[in-house]
Amino acid sequence: MKHIDNVKAPLLQCKEISKSFGGVDALKKVDLDIFPGEVHGLIGANGAGKSTLIKIISGDITQDSGEIYYEGKPLVLNGPQDAYKLGFSFIHQELNLVPKFTIIENLTLGIKKESKFGLIEWKSEIEKTKEVLKQIGLNHSLDTVVSSLSVADQWLVSIAHSLMRNIKMICMDEPTASLSAEESSNLFQVIERLTSTGVSVLYVSHRLDEIMQLCDGISVLKDGVCVLTTEKSKISRDELVTAIVGREEKSVKKAPSQEYKNNQVILSTKNLTWGNKVKNVSIDLHEGEILGFAGLVGSGRTEFANLLFGVEKPDSGTMQLNGKPYYPKNVSDAIESGVGLVPEERRSQGLVLKNTVNFNINMINLKSVKVSKWIQLLSTKKTTAISRSLVERLQIKTPSVHTQVINLSGGNQQKVVIGKWLTRDLQVLIFDEPSRGVDVGARSEIHSKIRELAKDGKGVIVISSDNEELPFICDTVYIMAEGNLVGKLEGGDISKEAINYKSYEHVINRNTMKKEGRDEQ
Amino acid sequence: MSNKNILNSRRSMLLVFSKFGTIIGMVLMFLAFSIAVPSIFPTIRNITNIVNQASLSAIIAGGLTIALIIGEMDLSIANVASFSGVLVTGLMVESGFPVWLAIIVVILIGGVFGMINGLIITKLRVNAVVATLGTGSIIGGISYAYARGVPIASGVPEAFKQISLGKSMGIPNNILIMGGVLFILWVFINYTEWGFQLRAVGGNPSASRLSGIKVDRIKILGLTIASMCAALTGILLASLIGSGTSAAADGYLMPAFAAVFLGSATLKDGDFHILGTLIGVLFISIGFNGLAIFGVPTYVQYFFRGGVLILAVGLSSVARTMASK
Repeated sequence: MKHIDNVKAPLLQCKEISKSFGGVDALKKVDLDIFPGEVHGLIGANGAGKSTLIKIISGDITQDSGEIYYEGKPLVLNGPQDAYKLGFSFIHQELNLVPKFTIIENLTLGIKKESKFGLIEWKSEIEKTKEVLKQIGLNHSLDTVVSSLSVADQWLVSIAHSLMRNIKMICMDEPTASLSAEESSNLFQVIERLTSTGVSVLYVSHRLDEIMQLCDGISVLKDGVCVLTTEKSKISRDELVTAIVGREEKSVKKAPSQEYKNNQVILSTKNLTWGNKVKNVSIDLHEGEILGFAGLVGSGRTEFANLLFGVEKPDSGTMQLNGKPYYPKNVSDAIESGVGLVPEERRSQGLVLKNTVNFNINMINLKSVKVSKWIQLLSTKKTTAISRSLVERLQIKTPSVHTQVINLSGGNQQKVVIGKWLTRDLQVLIFDEPSRGVDVGARSEIHSKIRELAKDGKGVIVISSDNEELPFICDTVYIMAEGNLVGKLEGGDISKEAINYKSYEHVINRNTMKKEGRDEQ
Repeated sequence: MSNKNILNSRRSMLLVFSKFGTIIGMVLMFLAFSIAVPSIFPTIRNITNIVNQASLSAIIAGGLTIALIIGEMDLSIANVASFSGVLVTGLMVESGFPVWLAIIVVILIGGVFGMINGLIITKLRVNAVVATLGTGSIIGGISYAYARGVPIASGVPEAFKQISLGKSMGIPNNILIMGGVLFILWVFINYTEWGFQLRAVGGNPSASRLSGIKVDRIKILGLTIASMCAALTGILLASLIGSGTSAAADGYLMPAFAAVFLGSATLKDGDFHILGTLIGVLFISIGFNGLAIFGVPTYVQYFFRGGVLILAVGLSSVARTMASK
């Protein structure tokens, strides 16, 4: 492997970068040095501050304090175009390609082309392009339409697009998330070839084995702080996990209660499978139990919830509700059976933003707000009475129930979505990221509502990427990874550290885990 | 700060203009025509005439309002109306249907066309503009095939003609029918479960689906209603002119769109609503009537029509973007 000459000046140097959003620190005095020709791994749990740091380097947002140096000179980025001009390239998981364009059209996109009489001189473009493609080893005809390529090849096209101009650094965000092992190793070869020409790579990934294999330098972020910067040769995997997860006091949480265990099982699944997103998931949800789902983004939790809620139909496996087979044909069928879901994206999936609080709260309960049995018209009196009582119960801050929800704050919007599901007496409620983008006050109010629901004997499922949230409210936590249940924590064992550890343990011991069975405690 | 205030006041002025502009414009136009031709324009006879003519437009535009509320388009409504005029006279003259039965059958067939539009849009996932442009052309073709290109005029029952020409309680029937239809649509949209779901689907289809609303079914329903309203307009037009003529109602398309968009900017922030549609229709009808009385050349009427359409859509989208800021 390459030898990193630390005497050499860094290409990019971040010094004491801090950034906060609405009083919450996203980054606290973070240092990051990237040397020319280096692959630098950036790791950390969800919400550790990786995206914020990258957004600052790419000029999307500006740091509150701290300096960035480029080849030793102070650097001020006034926008993404500045980072572009310096030769920085950012490849995100949603690739920035035009799917219907061919490879050559994509590669020359936004790059000044030679032309004669206003017509593009494709001949000279083809020469340039071929050279770049040789460099990354992509053997497709230049006229291949990009959407027909595999994800791995699309990544290569994206990288090639960066190479069409004088590039200094490429930042890759989870490049292997949807690649096979073979495709990944191919990508690593390309990365090595790139760095040998002096290009630096900032490599963001959850996959520790990749980081260990590929990166020269490694930086670990945790809760907005850079807790570790090191060279690969100087650290073991276990030390890396410790750095990501941390060893601190267990967070404050509710007193573990095992009472629910004597209650009836409301909802259960057995070997539920849907494509490669949900694999053989079996759970039991008791009356009065709050069941948490932890895992990295994209681990299949939302997809699992969609199966319970009738949004998608499972390929195989069984579901039971109150001991009877349960196969919701669609969402309305699920609701009629007594299952509700507060979706992940409240603005796009939860609310009709331009309509009023009253409208949104009554959305699923129209059958019971008719004027009378004989007059099947909606009673404004009844709808407003219901929405007023929920506004009071959930302490939704709104001038009136006739205010458009678009004018409410995030936390209050989320309460409106929750309120909608409280208009009906459902047995099972699923909350997908219930407190994302919600301020601290509203968050604890939402948590107390969730607990109240469980106390009323409902079965509650909470999906959260915020590993501090789950220990706080859950009786049981399942950990999901790549569609599998990889761990289960109960009662007093539930802690942020344990969840983080279980999430990563799977990544480290990917092979051994499979043999061990999934429900080990 | 002061800069922001100026911007804000400018914005709110624009908002007021778009909210009440149609009504103010309508009043100004009315006054101008009244001053220019005082002996003809502001008479009870002419005003009744305006409202009477507006009735047919208002019914088809009312249906179109529903199609737009669910977030779709329907460009086939005028073709459905034309065909309905031909079919209703044909059924009476050539097939010997009684007047009431012919009318019911034609409205139901109108509904079937709407349902087909809905199925094409929701199940085949064809963009609504393209889908209804296509079905509109096909329906126009069916209309010519059915009538063999000749207007069905002789033998149209007097009772059928009297629907549009007659009066009840001193008010022209068309106005009463229009009032009834718009009232029913208004109640339907605002006070029924289906109407609520129409608005929800138009506002956010994905949130609607996750609230258990059967989005496709609701869209099909909306387009069916739009087509049934178009069929009724076609029937009343055939009654008014006393014959079934292919393409007779084709000219209703553009004014209907202009009216619904004008109406969406009126009183509300770019939301389509029935009262607004009625105001939009009246605005356009007053304009047409006044220009006709003035005896302006035909091409000016075309300018008016196109200008109003663009102005209407512009106002509507301005109202919407400003409301969402």
